Amino acid sequence: MIFWVWVFGLVYAGLLVMASLKSYKKGRSAEEFMMAGSNVGLSLGVLTFAAALFSTFTFLGMPDFFRVNGVAAWIFLAVSDGAMVFFLLWFGYQIRMKVKGMEFRGVSGLIGRCYGNKWAGYVFFLAAFLFLIPYVGIQIQGIAIFMEAAFPGSLPSWGWSLGIVLIMLIYAEIGGLKAIIFSDAIQGLLLLFVIWIIGYACLSHFGGIGPMFERVGNIQEELLSSPGPQGLLTPQFLFASLIAILMIPVTQPQFTTRIVVMKSMKTMQLMAVSLGAFAILVILPTIFIGMYGVDKYQEYGRDDFFANAFLYDQPNFVAALAIIGLIAAGLSTTNAQIFALGSELRGLLKGNENSIMTKTKIGIFVFSVIAFFFSIIVIDQLVLLARVSFAGTGIMGPMILLGILSNRKVSSAIIYLSFAGLIIFLLSLGGFVPDMYFGIRLDLLLFITLGVIAVISHLAGKEHQFIREDDVKH
Amino acid sequence: MHKKKKYWTLCCIAAVVLSLITFTPLVIPQGVSKPMLGGVPYSLWTSFIITVALVVLTYIGTRVHPGMEEEEDKS
Repeated sequence: MIFWVWVFGLVYAGLLVMASLKSYKKGRSAEEFMMAGSNVGLSLGVLTFAAALFSTFTFLGMPDFFRVNGVAAWIFLAVSDGAMVFFLLWFGYQIRMKVKGMEFRGVSGLIGRCYGNKWAGYVFFLAAFLFLIPYVGIQIQGIAIFMEAAFPGSLPSWGWSLGIVLIMLIYAEIGGLKAIIFSDAIQGLLLLFVIWIIGYACLSHFGGIGPMFERVGNIQEELLSSPGPQGLLTPQFLFASLIAILMIPVTQPQFTTRIVVMKSMKTMQLMAVSLGAFAILVILPTIFIGMYGVDKYQEYGRDDFFANAFLYDQPNFVAALAIIGLIAAGLSTTNAQIFALGSELRGLLKGNENSIMTKTKIGIFVFSVIAFFFSIIVIDQLVLLARVSFAGTGIMGPMILLGILSNRKVSSAIIYLSFAGLIIFLLSLGGFVPDMYFGIRLDLLLFITLGVIAVISHLAGKEHQFIREDDVKH
Repeated sequence: MHKKKKYWTLCCIAAVVLSLITFTPLVIPQGVSKPMLGGVPYSLWTSFIITVALVVLTYIGTRVHPGMEEEEDKS
């Protein structure tokens, strides 16, 4: 296997170097570095969005989620993604019209301008920081666990994590967003290829789809229906997950940025359709891998399942591809997230552009260091942590949508109420307040309450909002 | 333009209805895996069809979205 890891690793590293050299331009502007010149075409757009969305969380997390919770996991991610791409069509149009003619400097900057209140930007940035960093951390950890299984005893887990963070930082510094988008494209294709090879091998183990579910039904009948053996995938959990995933293009800045930097409205819309098709293609084989896990490794822990299903049970070259695919998946997504946090910070800073860029780069470095420490300490299921990340940033959804959609001067109350919602959600995660009220999940209650407040704020707003020219171009 | 707006509204309604019925017993009857289709459990094949239908609706949406022409391509 080592031989194949070197072969594929060198090819992947070569592609990354080529991408960063192609993206590197001496004397490039901050706009080129942070926003890739806002000129991303269809193929790159689809792959970068898909790669940022489908990461370690899909590659490792979804097979494990199917293995533990059964077939209703499809609804959790695939149906939600199907609805999300339709929503993307609508929201993409709205946000592109909103930022038309102005320089887009991240959601924080935009939302602060929409409300004429800098706290809107700060509250959003806080939510993005709090919920993206642990998510980045667990992805880095996912790669480290996998590498430890592949090369036992060669490096401690934190050593692998550190290596990933260093590559990420160097790569982002050289190539900026353009390089990240190129690496996303490589990762997107690699992910699709590898997940299908492993998925097909797992399906072949059963001899077909029918025999696969028959076998799984014999092992544990509950895996074939909702809510699954753990009782997790209830209609309410799935519905709250749908809302959290719908909000991804609105509240996860790496995705909002990608919508805005697409070359045209047409390419953005075609990107939404292609992303939907890509989602089905990527999630489908994770069912086969998950069901394979039920048959062979039901009693095993998460890490042993990963190591066996992706490495030890595969031919050497497939196991090597899985390793490189996983590194690529984790690297591009974490890079996208950390870079997006840098972009958001940039949108909040004022003053000389050179000084802003220096502070932004320092910010990216600091975020990476924090994510590295999280990767050492966080222990959780990949999918559930990702869901918490989507829900946590999703709480900001009503505030952002109101700011972008309303053409009226609306009250700033939603900013402070969103902040309160964020604190309440954090307290529930820490176990300080209950996460269910009257039989309804807290995240769902917060989405509904803030959504209603946003509608009332719009209806109560009277004057037309006016964005001054000097506010727009600063 | 008027026709496009009408079709776009229909697409939006269809997307909302499809998304919502997913969370009803029509698609996820609790603890029920039959009738199967080609050996695939009930909730999986029904929700798979819904996912494909949502992507098809998104494609139709790109054709009928009323604001499509408002932004010129950047060169």
